[in-house]
This record gives sequence, C-alpha cells and structure tokens, in this order.
Amino acid sequence: MIERYKPRVQRKFVGGYRPKLDGPDKASGRAQYADDMTLKSRFPDMLYAKILRSPYPSARIKKFDKSKAEALPGVVTVMTYQDPEFTSLKLTNAGWTDCVDTVTWDRMMFPFRDRRVLGEYGCWAGDEMGIAVAAETEEIAEEALKLIDIEWETRPFVLDPIEAMGNNAPLVHPDLTDSNILAPDPTGGPDVFENRGDVDKAFKDVDVIVEGSSTFHNATQCSMDNWCCVMQWKEDQLTAWSNTYAADQLRMHISEMLGLPLHKIRAIASYVGGQFGRGDTGDQPFFLVTSLLAMKTGRPVKYRHTRHQSFLNTRQPAIYDFKAGLKKDGTLAALYTKAIGNVGAYADLSMFALKFVPKELAEVFLAHVPNLKMEAYGVYANVIPGCMMRGVGNSQFNLIFAHMIDACAEKLGMDPMDFCIKNFATEWEKLPSDSLIEVLKVGAKRLGWKEKRHAPGKGALIDGVKKRGVGFSCHPSWHAEWQEKRRGKVQVNLTLNPDCTILLNAATIEVGGGSNTCNVLGCAEALSFLGIGVEDIYWTPIVDTKDGIKDCVQTDSAVSFLQSEVMIDSAKELKEKLKVAGAEILKIPAADLDFADGKVIVASKPSFKMTIKEMLRKGDNAPITVAKSRSPDVKLTGVPFFANFAEVEVDTSTGKVDVQKLVVVNDCGTVMYASGAESQQIGGQCMGMGEALTEEIIYDKATGIPLNFNWVDYTIPTMADMPEIEPVLLEVWKGVGEYGACGIGEGTVSCTPGAIANAIYNAIGVRVNDIPIKPEKILKALGKD
Amino acid sequence: MPSKKEDVMSGVSGPDGKMTAQCREIRIRVNGSWRSFKLEGDLDNATTLSYLLREKLGYTGLKVSCDEGACGACTVIMGDTAVLSCMVLAIEADGKEVLTIEGLPKDDPVVEAFAEQSEPGYGTAMQCGYCTPGFVMTSRALLNANPTPTLAEVKDALAGNICRCGCYAGIAQAVMRASEKIVARRSVK
Repeated sequence: MIERYKPRVQRKFVGGYRPKLDGPDKASGRAQYADDMTLKSRFPDMLYAKILRSPYPSARIKKFDKSKAEALPGVVTVMTYQDPEFTSLKLTNAGWTDCVDTVTWDRMMFPFRDRRVLGEYGCWAGDEMGIAVAAETEEIAEEALKLIDIEWETRPFVLDPIEAMGNNAPLVHPDLTDSNILAPDPTGGPDVFENRGDVDKAFKDVDVIVEGSSTFHNATQCSMDNWCCVMQWKEDQLTAWSNTYAADQLRMHISEMLGLPLHKIRAIASYVGGQFGRGDTGDQPFFLVTSLLAMKTGRPVKYRHTRHQSFLNTRQPAIYDFKAGLKKDGTLAALYTKAIGNVGAYADLSMFALKFVPKELAEVFLAHVPNLKMEAYGVYANVIPGCMMRGVGNSQFNLIFAHMIDACAEKLGMDPMDFCIKNFATEWEKLPSDSLIEVLKVGAKRLGWKEKRHAPGKGALIDGVKKRGVGFSCHPSWHAEWQEKRRGKVQVNLTLNPDCTILLNAATIEVGGGSNTCNVLGCAEALSFLGIGVEDIYWTPIVDTKDGIKDCVQTDSAVSFLQSEVMIDSAKELKEKLKVAGAEILKIPAADLDFADGKVIVASKPSFKMTIKEMLRKGDNAPITVAKSRSPDVKLTGVPFFANFAEVEVDTSTGKVDVQKLVVVNDCGTVMYASGAESQQIGGQCMGMGEALTEEIIYDKATGIPLNFNWVDYTIPTMADMPEIEPVLLEVWKGVGEYGACGIGEGTVSCTPGAIANAIYNAIGVRVNDIPIKPEKILKALGKD
Repeated sequence: MPSKKEDVMSGVSGPDGKMTAQCREIRIRVNGSWRSFKLEGDLDNATTLSYLLREKLGYTGLKVSCDEGACGACTVIMGDTAVLSCMVLAIEADGKEVLTIEGLPKDDPVVEAFAEQSEPGYGTAMQCGYCTPGFVMTSRALLNANPTPTLAEVKDALAGNICRCGCYAGIAQAVMRASEKIVARRSVK
C-alpha cells in the first residue's frame, strides 16, 4: 500500500504528483542534447578534435615528431605543448568553485593550481596532455595521434595514498611541490580543521571508547551523456555549445584563461544527460584546447569523449578512522575523526570533500558533541583525480558515521536510533531534533525495523546458507537556502504578454533533477492572480549566456526552490506594474485596482467585471517585463534530516549480497514537485547501492593502468538488480521564504552505503566497512577465503 | 583506421545482390522510407548502424553512450527485434527494415506511458532522459511480442539497458501502463 506524502500547505501547482514537464520531449526522443545539437549537418565545415592521453601513470614527453601526422590527408592542424598558445597559459585546476558561483581565476575556492592546459606531463594513465589534433573526421584525428612519434620519459609512480605519504614516495608533481601531501589551503583550513573542547581529556573521563575505520573507494559519476563540446570562432566571437551544466562559469573560465572579453564569448547548452557532479564548472582544460583549435583553424571544432575517455574523475576516495568516547547513559561525549583522501593526480575540489563538508557537519549534525576533533589530509597519487560526485564529502563521511552509530549503540546496548536522537541535532536547535526523530520513526516503521532486527549474526538461517539483516543510517541535508549564499544573485526574468501568457526565463541547465518542472510550477503558483495554468507558460531547455542572466547551477535539487522563491518577488512586482498599466487603460487610479484569478477587481466598483486579458488587449499590447535578482536569505534556519533503511540477504557460501528492500526518507521542508522528488529518492538508491556493492575503478598495480573504464567491468546496477524501494517525503522542518524547502537530490545517495553495510553486519555479525562490499570481502570476513 | 578502398567483406550481400568491389551501395528502410548509401567518404564496411542513423540521417533520438553494447541507449528495432545499433554494422542492415524512436506514431502507447508516469511511489520514468529512447524501443519490441508481460518479464527484457538516474521503478511501471493502453485500444477497435 503506497502512502502519498501529506503537504503541510495544499497548493494548486507546487507539491503535486504530476508528469514531468519535459517528459513528452524525452519519451519521444525529441529532446536535444549537446551531441545532437552539433551534428555535422548543422556545421558542414566542422572539424573533430582528439587529445593525446597519457599511456603511463607518470611520464613526460621528451621529444616528438609530428610530421607523419601532419602529412595524413584530412589532418588540418596539430597543436602541441610547445606552441605559444599553450605555453602562455596560466596553471589552472578543474575545480574553480564547488559549482554554484562564478569566480575569477584569482578567486578559486581551493587554489591548488596544478594543471597545465595541454602540458608535457602525464600524471595518471589517461591524463589529457601534450598534443591535440583537429581533422576532418574523428577517425582521422585519432589516427593522426597514433602517427606522432613520441619519446617518453617514464617516471616512478604511486597509486596508494598511504604509500604516497611516505618520505621516499615518487612525487606526482615534482616540479610544483616537494610532498604529495597537499598543503593546508585558506578555504579548507589547517590539517586539524575542527577542535572543540578537549578530546584527549574527555577520552580519559568517558565510560566506553569505541574505535573503527572505513574505506570509501572511487566510484564515478558515469553520466550517460559523454563530454561533448563544439567551439566556433567567427568574427572574433567564440561560441561554445556544450554539455557543461554551468554556462556562465564556462564563459568566465574561457575569458579568464584565454583573455577574451565576456561579450565575445557565448555559451549555449541544452538538456544534459546526467551530471552527478562530474568535475564540471566549465573549467575542464579540454574546453580551452578545443577553443584554441577553433581559433587557429577558423572552423568549428567538435570534441567529444568516448565512454572510456569520459572516466575523467571520481568521488573522492577516503580512508576514515574514528574514536568515540561514550557515557553509560548514551551520551557521545567526545569524537575524533581522521581522513586520508587520495586526491588523484590533481587536487581540484578534494578539500571540499575532506575538510569543507565535515567542517559543516560539525555545525549541522555534531553540534551537541562537546569535544570534537577532526583532521584530514589530501594526498596526490598517480590515479584518476577525485572530484565532485553526488553527495560530495557527505557520502564518504556518512560511511564512517553509520559505522560509528552502529558500533557505539551495540557497545552501549542501545537501539542505534535512540543513540542518534540523543546526540545529534543542528547548532540552531535543542536536542532532540524533531526532524531527525520523524525521519527515523517513519523509516523504521516502513522497513519493519523492530520486527526484523536481531542481534548481529543471530537471525534465522535461510536455505541453510543465507542470513538476513537490517541497518540504517541518517544524515543532515545540506541545501537549505542559507547554505546557498555563495551562489550570489539568483536571477529570474518574467514577461507577461497581452494575452496573459508568460515567457519565463529562469535559466538553469536541466540535468535531470526536474528543476525546470519545479520552475514552471513555481511560476504558475506565484502568478495565480493571473488565473493561468502550466500550459500558459513558455520555457525552454536552452540556456544561452546571450540572454544576459546567470544560469542557476543544478547542484542538488536546490534550484527546485531557489528560483521559485525569487518568483514570489517577481509576482509582487508584476502585479504592481499591471496595476499601473491597468490604471492607464481603464482610467482608474492604480490604488483602486487589484487582480485575482485572472479577473480585474475595482475596489470602488464591486460590480465591475473584466478579465485581465480583456483589459490588456485594450491597451498598447506591449509586454510587461520583470527582471528580479535576489541573493539567498542567509538567516540560519538549520537543516532537515534524511535517513535510509536497508534489508539485505547475504549468501554466506558465496558472499553475495542481495538487497531486499530500501526505504529512503527525506524531510524536504516543502516538497516542490512530488514525482520529481520521488524519482530523486528512488534513483539515488541505485547509485548508492552501486557504490556500496559493485562500483569501483580497478588498476593494474604493476603498470598503474586503469582496467575497467567501461560498463561491462564497471558494474552499474540495472533493473534486474534493484530491490523494492519505498520513497517517503516529509515536511517537518521549514526554512526561510514562502516555501522554505531544502534540496534533497544529493542526500538521497549518501546514507545508502552505510545503511547496507550496517545491514550486512546485522546479518552476518562481522563488519565489512570497505566499500564496495564485493563477495570476496564478505568471504574473507567470514574466514572462508 | 579501416582502409577506404578495402573490398567489401565477403559473404555479406544485400538482398538485391548488388555488390561491386569498389563502391557498394546499401539500402535500408528507415521508418518506412527506403534510403540508399554508397560506401564512400566516411561510410565503409565498418560503419555502425548507429553512426549512419545519427550522423547521416539525423535520427538523434537514439544515443551513442557506451558504443560497445553495454548500455542500450542506442536501441532501435530491426525487423521485429530490438537491436543495439552500435553493435550492428550498417551493411548488416542492408535490405532490412529499421525503426527508430522517430518512427513511432505520436500517440504510441509506450511513449505516452513513459511521458505520463508520475504514479505515487514510483517516481517518473526518466530524469535526464538520455537513456529513455533506448528503454522505449526495447519496451516497444517487448510489447510487440508480448503485449501483456508480467513485471518479471519486463525486468528481464529491460535488464540490458542502463538508466544512471536509476528510474527503474518508474520505467517498469510505465511499461505496465503501456501494456494496459495497448489492451484497451485493441478492445475499442
């Protein structure tokens, strides 16, 4: 029996279950993505680019001869690291911001400038480097790369972060740093980035100490829409079609790196086939390489990755340790955590995951733990760079957190839910947290927690070899409006036509989260005085920086409410402008006019009957435009919580884990679009379950070469793998504004690995906290390897 | 890179028997219309059906995501069967009938059901939509062969398609609803 969510406030448009607005375009195949928009038939003189990828984990080009490549028919140009276009470029990174704001080169969020654009060094086996070709076809471009004679200097390499920290470890960037350990940066802070109370003293005073560790491996985003861009240089203007999800940031990146003024750069994007945080704020070096090829040849140049090449960065892998000091009554009196992250070949946004997020958790979750010390190190290694991925930093931290709550509760003889309720809340609320209590209570009921839970490993044996268990984990959400302040202004333009239809420009590149549907629903809701429906609102999936507003980047589902909150202000202003227009048309004082449900109301003349449409058509028929721009409200309202519950069945003879059921509970503040939110919840379980059980990049340790950059050996769950999933939407907490919502899209994945790992422990009584939990790890834990 | 002048692979022949050593012509009936191609320029024996359909004919509904038969995003129907067009050579489609998503009627029950899915508890049938045309075509072929599948049969038929957004619950539900639409329309007729 499916229970619908119950809205706190019943609204006409916002909050309902309804089809996705872009459903008809997507279900019929009409939706256009970057690769579709840029077919050769639309750009007849288009060239194709290919960039050399390092065949070694650490190497430098000593010498090369490109004459054979240049002689190949169909090759138009070969550019190399020795060309002045590239030698003149500044060092950069692929993580100027954590996605939301547009910054300049000197204001990067984490200023680790360790990337050369087309440099002579390859720092992981797959690094885009050194030489780029533009040719008439992709095949010719690829062939040309093979024809370049390269003399390589191969260098010693290191794959493991612990080894990379050693004194004699090969350096990943010997020309830039004298240690693989990243130096503390201004945003992330010192190595010990949180130190509250006195943990060492507290550990001496507590009744019980529990310790543990976890390892979070390198799952990757696997957006189905491989990287693709076309750069066109025409009349001193650069136009970029791409599937980045940050058009304004792409424009800024090109401007800052190539020295072009902003009005000479136009970035266009349409639907993007999945994002999930892939290293992308327009700052990938290949955008610049493709631009320079286009500028040199004067022809449009298309660069697209194969699936293999689109394995370009991963979730930040991390090894976590914890030590918890407990009192007999269940109080968590002291907590110490330490993380070592393998940042891969480039630092990018690693410190966002390793320091920035846990620092925030100290306020929004661990606020009532009196003694807290957190420490983290990012370490270079010659592997694919770690970067953003859905649930950045939170997923890694939650794995150790889930382990901790389970282990602490067991030691204390408590239900882990009671342990959470007793200890965790935000800085801005008293214990216990209403939101946390509700998500745990509802989740437990939907899974059958009380009936199914048993002492670890003590459940009934099924078919002689299988054991079942249940587990959960919980976490604070992190996209309340106050947490979005770095976005700066959120911009929306609205135009009212004289026939009462609306042109909506709430620029955001739709990556799948459903924010476009939310925006149109929010627009219809805010403009309810016009008496319009969703069908009266024009919107477009095309984002074009030529429109002159900054696109609101779809990190998480925060865009689902940020632009709708702005539309509340837009609606007020539009009503005032409509009053002024109406006063002129009807020769009635503006103060005497009002509008409701599409009708004109004259206060002094209740019998007056006219629709807004009729009124406008008596005037000059000029559209009325409102451009609103608003910074997120930074009032500290805390955050809502979410939780995941899992039931698993473990085959103790093979080590295979079958997830039986997943329950995902999100307190959303306000549900903006229920069907979209449920999709995020259900889809998040797929990604979370993949990370928990199967997804991992594997290297050949002898050569440092990644072995599974494909979807046969890197295994993503399919329909046949997924269990029953129960999505539960709640509205307990409320933020600022009309809706007071909070993004949930990222959060849906972050507790799934911890919940599954705890359920496995409950089933077999032995803990495996090194994900993905593949059968061989279970067998090893059971002593059967 | 395959040589442009390479002779036509032996043993592969069009139904009309037209084979020339230098420049073979193939004919494929795409969405009801016969289209002819000379194997020259960027087309040769190694050209995939997905390349031909997307790059030469502009049928961009199908997506080339993995290009090695692992994800199902490029699925089209050849004859009666759902095929991965990245794994089919254009010359293998010579003389055959190929249906891409653009060839489905506007009121196709599968397309409608995917677009409409919003039933509480299942989410929508897509988020980013990149995999959707592949899922629609695999589902269409399933329902052509078996208009009233069980949920288990749906899961079995669609297990070769990847949806990275993870909308499997909504997709399965959409296929069940499409099946109901097909049955209902038949009874009206």
